[in-house]
Amino acid sequence: MHRFVYERPEALADAVELFARHGAAARPLAGGTDLIIGLRDGSARPAVVVDLKRIAELPPTIEEQGSWLRISATVVMSDLLADARIRHEFPALAEAAAAVGSVQIRNRATVAGNICNASPAADTAPPLLVYGAVVVAVSDAGTRRIPLTDFFVRSGVTTLRSDEFVTAIELPRPSAPLGAVHLRRTRRRGHDLASVTLSCAIDRDGVTRLAYGSVGPRPILVVDESGRLADRGASDTVKEAILDRLFSAASPSPRSMRASPEYRLAMLRVLGRRAVRVALVRLDGGVQDG
Amino acid sequence: MRAEALSQVGLGRVGHSPQRVGGRTRVTGEQRYVGDIHLADELQVKLVTIPAARARIVAIDAAAAQAVPGVRLVFTPADLPQPVPRFGPQFADRPVLAVGETKYHGEPVAAVAAETVEAAEEAVRLVQVHYEELPALVTIGAALDPAAPLVQDPSSRPGDPLAHTNVLREHRYGWGDLDAQAAELVVDHRYRFPMVTHFAIEPHAFLAAPDGSGIVVWSTIQHPYWLQRMLAKLLGLPLAKVRVIAPDPGGGFGGKQHTKYEPLLAFMALRVGRPVRLVLSLEESFQAARRAAAEVQVRTGVCRDGTLVFQEIAADYLIGAYADIADRVVGKGSYIACGPYRLPAVRIVARAILSHTVPSTAFRGFGTPQVIWAVESNIDEVARRLGLDPLELRLKNVARKGEVFIPGDTPADGDWAESLRKAAEAIGWGTPRAPGRGRGIALGIKLGPTTGLSYATVRLLADGSVIVSAGTSDMGQGARTVFAQIAADELGAPLDWVTVVMGDTAVVPYDQQTSASRSTVLMGSAVLRACRDVQAQLRAMAARLYEIDEAAVEVTRGIVRLPQRELPISVVLSEGLGPLGGELIGTGEARKEPVPGHPLGGTAAFYDFNCTAAEVEVDEDTGDVTILRYVSVSDVGTAINPLQVHAQDAGAAIMGLGHTLMEQYIFDEAGRIRNLGAIDYRIPTSMDLPRAFETLLVENGDGPGPYGAKGISEGALLPVAPAIAAAIRDGTGVAIRELPLTPERVWRALRERDAAETASDVQGVPLAEGFPMAARHGKPSRRRQHGQG
Repeated sequence: MHRFVYERPEALADAVELFARHGAAARPLAGGTDLIIGLRDGSARPAVVVDLKRIAELPPTIEEQGSWLRISATVVMSDLLADARIRHEFPALAEAAAAVGSVQIRNRATVAGNICNASPAADTAPPLLVYGAVVVAVSDAGTRRIPLTDFFVRSGVTTLRSDEFVTAIELPRPSAPLGAVHLRRTRRRGHDLASVTLSCAIDRDGVTRLAYGSVGPRPILVVDESGRLADRGASDTVKEAILDRLFSAASPSPRSMRASPEYRLAMLRVLGRRAVRVALVRLDGGVQDG
Repeated sequence: MRAEALSQVGLGRVGHSPQRVGGRTRVTGEQRYVGDIHLADELQVKLVTIPAARARIVAIDAAAAQAVPGVRLVFTPADLPQPVPRFGPQFADRPVLAVGETKYHGEPVAAVAAETVEAAEEAVRLVQVHYEELPALVTIGAALDPAAPLVQDPSSRPGDPLAHTNVLREHRYGWGDLDAQAAELVVDHRYRFPMVTHFAIEPHAFLAAPDGSGIVVWSTIQHPYWLQRMLAKLLGLPLAKVRVIAPDPGGGFGGKQHTKYEPLLAFMALRVGRPVRLVLSLEESFQAARRAAAEVQVRTGVCRDGTLVFQEIAADYLIGAYADIADRVVGKGSYIACGPYRLPAVRIVARAILSHTVPSTAFRGFGTPQVIWAVESNIDEVARRLGLDPLELRLKNVARKGEVFIPGDTPADGDWAESLRKAAEAIGWGTPRAPGRGRGIALGIKLGPTTGLSYATVRLLADGSVIVSAGTSDMGQGARTVFAQIAADELGAPLDWVTVVMGDTAVVPYDQQTSASRSTVLMGSAVLRACRDVQAQLRAMAARLYEIDEAAVEVTRGIVRLPQRELPISVVLSEGLGPLGGELIGTGEARKEPVPGHPLGGTAAFYDFNCTAAEVEVDEDTGDVTILRYVSVSDVGTAINPLQVHAQDAGAAIMGLGHTLMEQYIFDEAGRIRNLGAIDYRIPTSMDLPRAFETLLVENGDGPGPYGAKGISEGALLPVAPAIAAAIRDGTGVAIRELPLTPERVWRALRERDAAETASDVQGVPLAEGFPMAARHGKPSRRRQHGQG
């Protein structure tokens, strides 16, 4: 493994200072489920690794702040699954968190890290997009609140500046219940990287928010405000046409060995149809497996 | 102690499933694998490879690597004896390090030895290899192109008429006159089987240490005595000066049968005069061993009533850049390509085709899964085309016990129809099934060893405890337990009074190899004979002690029977050994002699036979295949340890589900492996198992091993793919002839079916529904449910 300096600041200000000093040469460490692999295979060669887990201001908690839930940068997937508010108000996020890796991975991997790694296949990205998440980043210039829709650029690249790091992800709590679900496609039933991810949230006004990943350089959020996708009376033909339009930004890589573009696009439509159906059942208070 | 009580000590172990010998340490992590062994003063070795498959090596600059603190040796081909030594179990074609040209992605061009792994890794990064990338052959089509580059230099194949091709060898088998057969239907298809790897949880690992005038090598090898021979030859040492220590491997599956990097380590150790150690990563294991891919053309000729009249097979196996044991795999695997069927005429042509890929080697099934996939799928097709029940077609044609089905070889050694009926019954063959679901059945057969030689010693110590020395490698299949059970039974010792010593050529007598499911039959027989030798000595001892005729003494299973009374062995032993104590030493030998003129060098010691049936559900939108029920039935002769037999069959089935549903190497245009490692080379997890999963045994005591046992554990892997594909066919109407049956491949086949139906607007071949089932209740069978049940 390549040599680097390991820093474990205990105050947020110290971490801010480290990133101000080292910029792109520094990498934050939370769960390490991506970073450690990169360090081992040589694809990540930071001069400084800044461990965020001992920072007093970043305990692994999910806190209520007015009408928002604030998920600290050190919260791991298992924490999300254990949180009743997440399970009840953000079920698609809980489903996505449950799909990440294995139990051991979920006990280490953080939600913030999942987002910052910016994999197009990141499981928590689509649900966070449909729920309107905001990324909170800090630097010595102060705190920025970045809507998740403005966060992803392409695989491994975000709009975070090199002197910034993420301290929390904030979620607006829905004022009325949503019908929501997270679906994914994998090559096997056991833990696997997704070849298509899709989250769907439908509100009482019939607005359908769909976010999908692994079918292009970054996860994408699309919204049907016409109400027709959520219209139980609308024909399949109408819904298919809407989904086609919503999925028009999908551009899977022909280089991937996980699935061909043709198959991914077809599965995106399958997941879209199924997600809308499940979300509608759930909106009505029904229990429906995703 | 009365005889009755005694018998409970001695008897009852064979045929029961005591706790596995060494099982606890294996699961608690206490077992010391090669990778856990450290020697004082050892150096850590890392391999230098280049990110290319085939490349001309222009120069290797080691200066920067040499300068890394802690680096003791940067070892290049120039440091080896010249010409660079080559080795291999069949052909001495593989250089210790790549010479002039790398021939596959991952072939080492140099190696570093350093005080720490970190220093070795850093140095490996700094070794500058100047190379020129060359086009690589990674498919059968490319390798057979007359304009293709030759993988092996023709000058290395003097006198070989195929030297100017990439065909290493061609194997031809057959009998009868194909042209004279009046077939009423001929079904002709091509089937593809992917390149897959063993994926043992324990990585390959090696240590080599100079030892006086010789050398000691620790290896994860399955065949320590073969490695000993190989090293002795390469190093010019007598066998007695090459000691191979082979701790129980953590999974082998054939991938650890043959020499890999031990010669490199030996040369490095002798060069630096210190022990050197190399533990491969999973990625490096992918580049050390794999199964041959294959394309198999099958023509099956049949009468309208379902009687098979001929089969013609052309099997092309894509082997690697060096032969390893792959040509033997091709020759032996294709030999039984026509399955267990009665056939008047057969023609088989198999080719071992060289390519710029990882050398393929032995892998559970040894070349047979590839042909069984093809032939069994074609048999299913024949049945459907004739409107016959695939089960009935097989029952009609499968060889009956004692019937010769390959002229000149061992006749059918089991009641194979019984396995077929048992599998059919367990899956509910012929009963109604829900829409969208399909059922498939297939069988598999493989030859056991064709030659063999195993020695064992059994020492009955003064207190009645026993030490068995047996050169088998227990890599998880449970050989230690089986040998301990045999010795415990024969000598009347409690199981935990038996120690089985393995894996050290300086201590344990010779065993040819651990392969072809041979160890229970061959080494088990050697152990049994060694026990009988001890019993003979006990008879002589009793005759002397009690002044009776030796012929009047009987020793069975822990008891010495005299004309008037019965004594436990321990009593006779302690009296007989007298005040000095000591022990009785028995030796046993088991041989499977070669047969001159036989195309494989010898006949089958036994057949590993299995019938598998499955019920699946296919998601028409996604191509997902869910295996709802799975039944695997093996003909095992006698299950010495039923739990281990069930576990081996379950493991074989799950391994087979890997190549059936998801596993395959993926290459880029330049021949580099794209899915190197666990992330993109997927194997089944517990969540991918069939919903209901059952293994059943047929036990007729008709094997050549101890107590009528046969070898097992490969058979259950053979029919997995054709059974699942037939079930998919049954449920959806699509026949897929290429593995793995990934969701995307199934989805494409479904789309093509829909497009064809739309285009022609006619129904395809009607699906056979509700075959009348010829149910017959056999003997009560051992049955075991696995997994989610």
